[in-house]
Amino acid sequence: MQVVVDNLITNCELSGKGKLVLLLHGWGDSLRGLAPLQSELSKHYRVLSVDLPGFGNTEAPPAVWGLDEYGRFLAALLRKLELDELYALIGHSNGGAIAIRAIAREVLSPKKLVLLAASGIRSDQSARRFAFQVIAKTGNVATAWLPNRYRDALRRNLYGAAGSDLFVMPQLQETFKKTVRQDVQADAHTLKLPVLLVYAADDETVPLKHGEKYHHLIVGSTLKVVQTGGHFLHQQQLPVVADSIEGFLK
Amino acid sequence: MVRMESIAVIFGGRSAEHDVSVVTALASVIKPLELTKKYRVEAVYIAKDGAWYWDDKLKDIKLFTSGEIQNYLHRTQPSSVQFDGGMTLVKASGIAGRKQHRKIDLVFPAMHGTYGEDGALMGLLDMAGVPYVGCGVSAAAICMNKVLAKRVALGSGIPISKYVSFAKTDLERNASGLLKLLDKELRFPVFVKPAHLGSSIGISRATNETELRNALEVAAHYDDEVLVEEEVPNLIEVTLPVIGNEQPQAALLERPMTKAEDFFDFETKYLQGGKKGKGKGGGSKGAQGYSQIPADLPKGLYSQAEKLGLKVYQVMGCSGIARIDMLIDEKAGSVYFNEVNPLPGGLYAHNWNKAGMSNVELVQRLVGFAKERHAARQSLTTTFGTNYLQQF
Repeated sequence: MQVVVDNLITNCELSGKGKLVLLLHGWGDSLRGLAPLQSELSKHYRVLSVDLPGFGNTEAPPAVWGLDEYGRFLAALLRKLELDELYALIGHSNGGAIAIRAIAREVLSPKKLVLLAASGIRSDQSARRFAFQVIAKTGNVATAWLPNRYRDALRRNLYGAAGSDLFVMPQLQETFKKTVRQDVQADAHTLKLPVLLVYAADDETVPLKHGEKYHHLIVGSTLKVVQTGGHFLHQQQLPVVADSIEGFLK
Repeated sequence: MVRMESIAVIFGGRSAEHDVSVVTALASVIKPLELTKKYRVEAVYIAKDGAWYWDDKLKDIKLFTSGEIQNYLHRTQPSSVQFDGGMTLVKASGIAGRKQHRKIDLVFPAMHGTYGEDGALMGLLDMAGVPYVGCGVSAAAICMNKVLAKRVALGSGIPISKYVSFAKTDLERNASGLLKLLDKELRFPVFVKPAHLGSSIGISRATNETELRNALEVAAHYDDEVLVEEEVPNLIEVTLPVIGNEQPQAALLERPMTKAEDFFDFETKYLQGGKKGKGKGGGSKGAQGYSQIPADLPKGLYSQAEKLGLKVYQVMGCSGIARIDMLIDEKAGSVYFNEVNPLPGGLYAHNWNKAGMSNVELVQRLVGFAKERHAARQSLTTTFGTNYLQQF
């Protein structure tokens, strides 16, 4: 289904009946990545998933956006679809960071929150992030002598090797830079609603220790650890993840 | 040695259907044309910013699927076109500032949507005096305006479903008045469509007023003219690929295997490989996903739809190739004209294959029709000598 939200053609899928659950995908993904989970949850809930602006089949934002703009966009989407009572918000990866920020700033007010391998902890200086920052700071100077086309290709390879999503969506590079500078730990600490955290022990993109940190910050939260499944645990371990979510939402 | 005829396949373009056009050109036009070994095939790609590029490298689909096309465009000078009593492609040869030229004998437009399928490109080619495959200016312009096509059909006694059309400015000025009018004139469910776009872009099905309001906004986001039409009850959607000029020939009536609620949107047609339509047996996967070819319909209904499709082709003034979409009310046994697609995605080669025509034969016949139509037009008198200027 398409709707126009804030003058952007927005692609979303609404399925099932019952209390409203909103699914948010991560960076570089789209609602298709959440389709198996949506299909499971639709058996008991009315589930809305959306291609966030710049991803899937939704138009890109007209300016550089951060977590707050994405949060406001989601509120506008719910108004547009006349879906008032948001029961639960489920955010994967960057979708989780958007959710934390939007709830903390009272842009969205779900009754429950599920964070699937949610990102948003930016202060962790892992070796990969360190490499990413070194490349970002030195790369421009080191490659300045190269023609643009070779320079872009080299930068793409280097950022990829450092595990950065900067070039995953080339048209959203500035939005990506703004987003990854936004740490939501302080926002997470203000959350008062029931929160389920689901992380995979073998996730190399957003490590389990981020889940543990959120668990510590969000009073009363529940942490579910899946041993394998990686960053896309809702696809790799769908039955386990769906069961955990359904149990939490009951 | 006899010079091989040069055929320029023009694709891409400043249209929402740019990507579909790339697939049509590379998979269904360039490859079969090259397999004939009769023509020198020139790939002419129009980028989304409107710049033209002529290069053999553009024949490789991987250039587009890998995203490498952006780098290519970044480092390549656009080509130009010379109208010299015909059409000549011109580009830098890379040797001491010399230019490379190629005189074009015939153009095979493989562009869908705005500027490509709506008559704009055909107008340019008519001005250049080059034969080209497919519908001419007026037929393309009528077919690509769904409202205009309905009016022409209505004037020729061709049955259509009930509709209301209006300009985007009407919606902006008086949305509530328009909703009242729609409520009075039409019954839910309705389909809301941008008047000019193809490939189902911007089309929504609305079952209530909220959905209708959103659907109108989506359609108006894409187009300055919007069409709202009643859904035909007990619906069977069928489509008929047709080729030819004065004596058109139909392929097989095809039935997309989709449910009404999963009607073919752009996503289903081109991005999901038609998986929503996958299901009951007899399906064939084509540009529009899974469909039944030939449509399993009672003999009378099949022939009624086939006749209507051929009549529409002639009434709209189509030539070369087109595809006629029709809607059947199964219970009432009524067939309605829905719309014409002057350049079916992938030429609908999958259907022609089932009808016994190979991709190679299909493009060869289309080239033949283009020449035939061009020759007929050449025989018309367009200029004549007068002494008007001397008397001035």
